[in-house]
Amino acid sequence: MKESLQRIWWAGWKNFKRNSYLSLGTTAIMVLVLVLFSALMGLNFLSVKVVSSLNEKVDVTVYFRSDAGEEEIIKVKDELQDRGDIRSVEYISREKALEDFKANHAGDVLIQDSLAELDSNPLQASLNVEASDPSQYATIVTYLEANQFRSLIDKINFYENEQVIGRVQKISGAIQNWGFTLTMALALIAVLITFNTIRLTIYNQKQEIEIMRLVGGSNWHIKAPYLVEGGLYGVFAALVTLLLFYPLVYLASPKIELLMPHASLMGYFISNGLQYVFLVLSAGILLGVVSSLFAIRRFLKV
Amino acid sequence: MIEYKGVYTTYDNKFEAINGIDLHIKYGEFVSLIGPNGAGKSTLLRLLTKEITPNKGEVVVDGISIAEIPDKDLPVLRRKVGTIFQDFKLLTNKTAFENVAFALEVCGASEQEISDDVPKVLHIVGLSDKADNFPNQLSGGERQRVAIARALIHRPTILLADEPTGNLDLLNSYDVVKLLLKINELGTTVILATHNREVVNSIGRRVVSMENGKIVRDQIEAGKYII
Repeated sequence: MKESLQRIWWAGWKNFKRNSYLSLGTTAIMVLVLVLFSALMGLNFLSVKVVSSLNEKVDVTVYFRSDAGEEEIIKVKDELQDRGDIRSVEYISREKALEDFKANHAGDVLIQDSLAELDSNPLQASLNVEASDPSQYATIVTYLEANQFRSLIDKINFYENEQVIGRVQKISGAIQNWGFTLTMALALIAVLITFNTIRLTIYNQKQEIEIMRLVGGSNWHIKAPYLVEGGLYGVFAALVTLLLFYPLVYLASPKIELLMPHASLMGYFISNGLQYVFLVLSAGILLGVVSSLFAIRRFLKV
Repeated sequence: MIEYKGVYTTYDNKFEAINGIDLHIKYGEFVSLIGPNGAGKSTLLRLLTKEITPNKGEVVVDGISIAEIPDKDLPVLRRKVGTIFQDFKLLTNKTAFENVAFALEVCGASEQEISDDVPKVLHIVGLSDKADNFPNQLSGGERQRVAIARALIHRPTILLADEPTGNLDLLNSYDVVKLLLKINELGTTVILATHNREVVNSIGRRVVSMENGKIVRDQIEAGKYII
């Protein structure tokens, strides 16, 4: 059995080596697919980071009308706190809001003068709500909209944030969809090219195959070297991809971190290194073996 | 042991290669199939290894209908039925030893089996001293003997020889025929398809004459080349 496997392996390796130029072309197109696949993984990581950091920044501020009483606002606060999906609710009274505003604009004479001119406090009391899970904001807002004290609420600022998050998600979704489509299209081309390479190998070895059939060579011994050959295209493509991709990520990562300080692309591909290598190798081998299977099925009659 | 029962074979649904053949070959027989080109001799042999299947009728070997053998079991059948051809079908980049060993390798034999069996079979065909020669370093007769050695390596019960002397001079042809007779004496059924009159007349065994896909004469004993 071991000797059999060794022979099959060597036969596949010889096929791979014998067609050096064809092998190079086939491997190159597979590298393209795998690099695109890897880029898509990186993009997915970055978009998840962007969306989650946006989500972390999101909170809901409920502004109350000027005539709303503190007791009623506290009731709303208590009701919100009783919900399981709220991390914190902070009450900011009109007075506190004014104090904060003044403190924030202490150096701005114009604002300070304008406030002094006013008879009454123009700011509204508010509740600052933070959900334990960002996806719960929509539910919380719906709850507030249906609340018995709805008439006291002037506005809820969630909708503006929601639009930003929605837009980011939409853009990243579109990029991922197009990236996926492009990867699939290139994968199909890679399969066709590998298929053609294996077809040529089979054609070149017509006599050898005929003799193998003639002397009662087992189907496995006749077919398996072509599967090995296909798999080898995948393995080499994966190795070249890794050799290209890691330096690229190493160079790009600091530039991306300037825009997104908490998104270390290099860190991601290092901490998930084993899974990534496994994925790229599996994808490469799968592409090669599937192409071989098609070619064997179509052109190798045993 | 080998039975053709009402066999018809058509190529591309047009050319009738075999046209209703009934033939029975006993275990250990030496049968010469003779006839002009296109008589159906090679087709009759190819039916035995299921390279082609009959359109009608049945081919039975050792009580098993060839049609019922699933594709995955064809290698087993082809090890039981050795074949040699006019063009030898040797791999030019392999030595005589390697050509014979190749037949064992593709069947999953161990290195031990290969190093035990190949020299023995090369000895039977008289090529022990040429084991390391490549096909282009051998004469036509020697190449055919390498092909015979390769066909014998699985100890087949049937040996099909399709025009094995077609590319050989008379002397080499007699050598190959002598070898086939020796193999037959060791118990292997031999079916020789040929149109070499001298060779057939020198054998003096059963001769089946074919014409237009039909058997026109079957001389059971001491047959001669008569069409």
